[in-house]
Amino acid sequence: MMPAADNATLVRRAFWLIRLRWIAVVVLVLGTFFLHDVLGIAVEATKLYAVAVLLAAYNGVLLLLLNRFADKADGTTGGIVGKVIKFQIYADLPVLTVLLHYSGGIENPFVFFFIINIIVAIFFLSIWESYLQATLAVLLLGVMILLEYLEVIPHHCLEGYIKDCSYRDNGYVLGTYLVFAVVLYIIVYITGYIFSSVKETEKTNARLLEKDRIKDEYVAHLTHDIRGHLATIQSCLSVVLTGTLDKQSSEFTGRAFRRTKKLTDFAKTFMTLTKIRLNGKADMSEVSLKRTVNRVVDALRSGAEEKSIKLICHISDTVENIHGVELYIEEMLTTLLLNAIKYTPENGDITVRLASELDSVRLQISDTGIGIPAAEQAKIFDEFYRAGKAACCLRAICRSQNGKSYLRTQ
Amino acid sequence: MEKLKILIIDDDVDLVEALKVTLTGAQYTVITASNKMEGMEKITSEKPALIVLDVMMSTWQDGFELSRELKNNPEFKNIPILMLTSITERTGVEFKSSAGDPTWMPVDGFLDKPVEPAVLLSEVQKLLREKL
Repeated sequence: MMPAADNATLVRRAFWLIRLRWIAVVVLVLGTFFLHDVLGIAVEATKLYAVAVLLAAYNGVLLLLLNRFADKADGTTGGIVGKVIKFQIYADLPVLTVLLHYSGGIENPFVFFFIINIIVAIFFLSIWESYLQATLAVLLLGVMILLEYLEVIPHHCLEGYIKDCSYRDNGYVLGTYLVFAVVLYIIVYITGYIFSSVKETEKTNARLLEKDRIKDEYVAHLTHDIRGHLATIQSCLSVVLTGTLDKQSSEFTGRAFRRTKKLTDFAKTFMTLTKIRLNGKADMSEVSLKRTVNRVVDALRSGAEEKSIKLICHISDTVENIHGVELYIEEMLTTLLLNAIKYTPENGDITVRLASELDSVRLQISDTGIGIPAAEQAKIFDEFYRAGKAACCLRAICRSQNGKSYLRTQ
Repeated sequence: MEKLKILIIDDDVDLVEALKVTLTGAQYTVITASNKMEGMEKITSEKPALIVLDVMMSTWQDGFELSRELKNNPEFKNIPILMLTSITERTGVEFKSSAGDPTWMPVDGFLDKPVEPAVLLSEVQKLLREKL
C-alpha cells in the first residue's frame, strides 16, 4: 500500500518507525512507573520494564542496520530497508501481546493499541498483508485470552483499577474480543481504501509531472534550434547592414534585423524560463549582490543617459553576500532595468535600492514610468499573458534563488 | 605584407558565409571547414593564424574536443581559438568563466551567437595582437 517511494523516502520512513518505537519505549517505562508506583495498580512492573528493554534492544539493532545500509550506493538499500520495515511491523505484534498479558490481558483498554500497528502496516504493506496483520493480531490476542481463560498461563489482574477480574467472564471476554476483531478488519478496509486513493492520486501526479518534464525538454530543444537559426539570420543581416545599401534596402533590412533581434531575445527569455523549470534549483554559490548590482547599473547607465533618465543607486553597506546563481540574478536585474528604461519617459528617475532586512536582502527597483493598470497587475506574472513572459521569467528566477518577488504601482 | 589566414570551423554554412564576408572585408584570408575532421586537415595544411570554432557541430562536444587536441599539440598550441557559442542556454553552464583553463576549456576567447561584425573583428584583432 505504501506509495511508490524512492530509496531516500523509504529510508526516511524506516527512521520514522524507529523514532516511533523510541517514543513507545519511553511511554512504556513512564506509564508503567505511573500506573504501578503512583496509582498503585497491580501491573507486572518488572516484566513490563523487561519488555521495554527488549523493545529498546531490537530498536537499537535496527537503527544500527539502517545507519549502515541507508546510504549504500549499490542499489541494495531499498531491499534491506524494506526488510527492516517489515521486520519492525511483524515484531511489534507479539511484543504488544506480551505487554498486554503482563498488564491485565483483555481487561486492559490498551488492547486497542493494536489499531496503531495495523494503520502502520496498511501504510507500508500491501492490502493483503495488512489483512494478514489484522488476522495475526486477532489470533495472537485470541490465543492469549484463551490461555488465560483456561489458566494455562496466569492472568495478571489489574487490582486497583478493576474491581472484579473478568478474564473468565464469558460475555465480557467474547464481546470485547469480537468488537476488537471487527474494528481491526473495518480499519484495514477503510484505511486501505483511503490510502489506495491517495496512492492513485500520487501516481497520477507523478505521471503528469513526467509529461510536463518531457514537454519542457521538447520546448527547450525546439527553442534552442529556433534560436540557432535566428542567430544566423541576425548575423547575416548585420553583415548586410554594414555594407552600402540604398535608403530603402537599408530601412527594410534594419526592420528585419530589429524584428529578428526581438525574436532572439524572446527565445532567450523563454529558454531561461524552461531551463529553470527543468532544473529546479540551480547550483548556487556565494554571490555579492553589491558587486552584481553595481556592475549591471554601470552597464546600463549609458542607455539611461541617452533618454536623460537619472539612474540612482542606493546600496546599503550592511548588505551581506547571498546564496544564488550570479548569472540568473544578473539577468533578472538587467531585464528589470531595461524594462524600466524603456517605459520611463525622458527626464524621469529610476531608483535601485539594495538593503538588508532581518534575515534577507531587499532589492527594489522603482521608476517614474507609466506603471501598470490595476486590472493587469494580477496577470503580470502569468506566463501566457501578453506581456507576462518576462515577469514570469523573473519570478521563476527569483524563486529558484529562494527569493520572493513583489509588484507595486502607484 | 602577406594577409593573415583565419580558419572558420562551423557546420552552419550561412553563418560561415556571413563571418567570411566580414573577415575578408577586413583584409584577412578566410578558409573554412564544416566539421572537426575537415578542420584538422585544414589546420595541418594551411597553418592558420587564428581559428574561429563553433562549439557544437555534428556532435555537441566536437568543438571542445578539437580545441583540446589542438592545445595538447605542440605544433598548434599557439594558434588562438575564438569559440562561438550559443550553448549557455542549453546546458546552463557559463563557459566564459572557464576560458583559458588548459584542460577543460582551452580556448582564448568566446563570442556569443548572433555575431555582430564589429564585435567579431575587434575580438579577432585582440587575439591576434596578443599572439604577436
